[in-house]
Amino acid sequence: MHMNFDIAPTSATPIYRQIVEQVHRLIASGQLLPGADLPSVRAVALAHAINPMTVSKAYSLLEAEGLLVRLRGVGMVVAEADGAASAPNTPLALLTPSLAAAARVARQLGVGDADALALFQTCLQSEGAAASEPSKGQARGPKEA
Amino acid sequence: MNTPSTLHSMFPLPTMPTPTPMSTPAIAVQNLTLRLDHATILQDICLQVPAGAVVGLVGRNGAGKSSLLRCLAGLADPSSGSSQLLGCPSLYLTDAVRERLGVVAQTPDLFEWMEVMEMIKTLGRAYPRWSETRALALAVQLNLPVGRRISELSGGDQQKLSVVLALAHNPDLLLLDEPVSSLDPMTRRDFMRALFTSPLRSDGMDGIGGVDACNSAPRTVLISSHLLSDLERVVTHVAFMRDGRLQLFDTWDAMLENLRLVPLASIAGITGRTPGVVCTNAAAASAVVDTRLLPQYADAGRALSLDALFLELNA
Repeated sequence: MHMNFDIAPTSATPIYRQIVEQVHRLIASGQLLPGADLPSVRAVALAHAINPMTVSKAYSLLEAEGLLVRLRGVGMVVAEADGAASAPNTPLALLTPSLAAAARVARQLGVGDADALALFQTCLQSEGAAASEPSKGQARGPKEA
Repeated sequence: MNTPSTLHSMFPLPTMPTPTPMSTPAIAVQNLTLRLDHATILQDICLQVPAGAVVGLVGRNGAGKSSLLRCLAGLADPSSGSSQLLGCPSLYLTDAVRERLGVVAQTPDLFEWMEVMEMIKTLGRAYPRWSETRALALAVQLNLPVGRRISELSGGDQQKLSVVLALAHNPDLLLLDEPVSSLDPMTRRDFMRALFTSPLRSDGMDGIGGVDACNSAPRTVLISSHLLSDLERVVTHVAFMRDGRLQLFDTWDAMLENLRLVPLASIAGITGRTPGVVCTNAAAASAVVDTRLLPQYADAGRALSLDALFLELNA
């Protein structure tokens, strides 16, 4: 299993939360399947030159949410799906907060519903056709390549 | 009035806490003030750093960061107030505490006439917890030319050597004053990684590393730096200093999640003295609020990066 987190240390989102949200997304989109192992705390900390305690904090939160389980001798693995039933980890549930925020801004600016929906459609199109293959979570390389 | 009995009731004995080793903060500072020639360098600093914290000490030049670090290390004598490292008064550090302490001063204290390797060996004789294996591994990790004479090292390499020397005895507490200012971005990353590399138990190969095998307390680090993007990667806490005072101290995650930059107009009626208003910036017509105390601003304005918060606090 070769995976890496996308961590932006200068972001206004705490690093532990960036990791938590990425694991949420990777599980929701099926890129991390039940039983898949996560990179060790040490490996993530070394790769990004970040504090290992930050990675531990993220993993512990995900464990408390039931998304990850700690296996002796293996480390952190993705929990079986129903073990995390309470966590809002479907793609649509994860998308809701962003769209709710966008809706609020649209109301504040007085943008009409039709215009807002059309704009969202345009945004989706500019991201390219991502619906067919489940690799949108990576968002690594620029598209022009 | 000053009969012994009244004195006794005025100063009841239990006022001196006797903390258990587990709850002893790694660094404790009480009302520390430092004056030099009528100038106040540090004013009434109070600080408690829990064991295992990695604290970024930030502030403008002259804010008092180096002076505070010097007081903590027992190199400067405060005018009033006190500080303790690992439970021991800074001015009377015991050998046992010194052995658990690593210090990198702003200007490296190096034996310039020696070669790098020679200095590593020489200093090693003074520290029971010293691991030459660890020192060399670090030197290699940081690309330090070990065979060169110290006087011929570049400024960056001298800084690297001070870091290696401060880390080689696996200290429980590190005080670092601008340790990476002359290092390139790649080496700074390596340095950050080295901060957290706990000595592998295989380090015991040299017969020294095993001494503290039972000591698993996480290392505490206090690091001053202007390279805020480096700090953002590794800190658990940030201490902001301005004009000799400790302006703000909290965990970095709590600052990111609870401080919001809002327009000054939106806090109309709330003065800068109100709890929850961290600072106001008249020029930019903005204010930083703590939403734990002013929850009505939880969604107002925007969150701040370390860089942005630094600018607001020093506006």
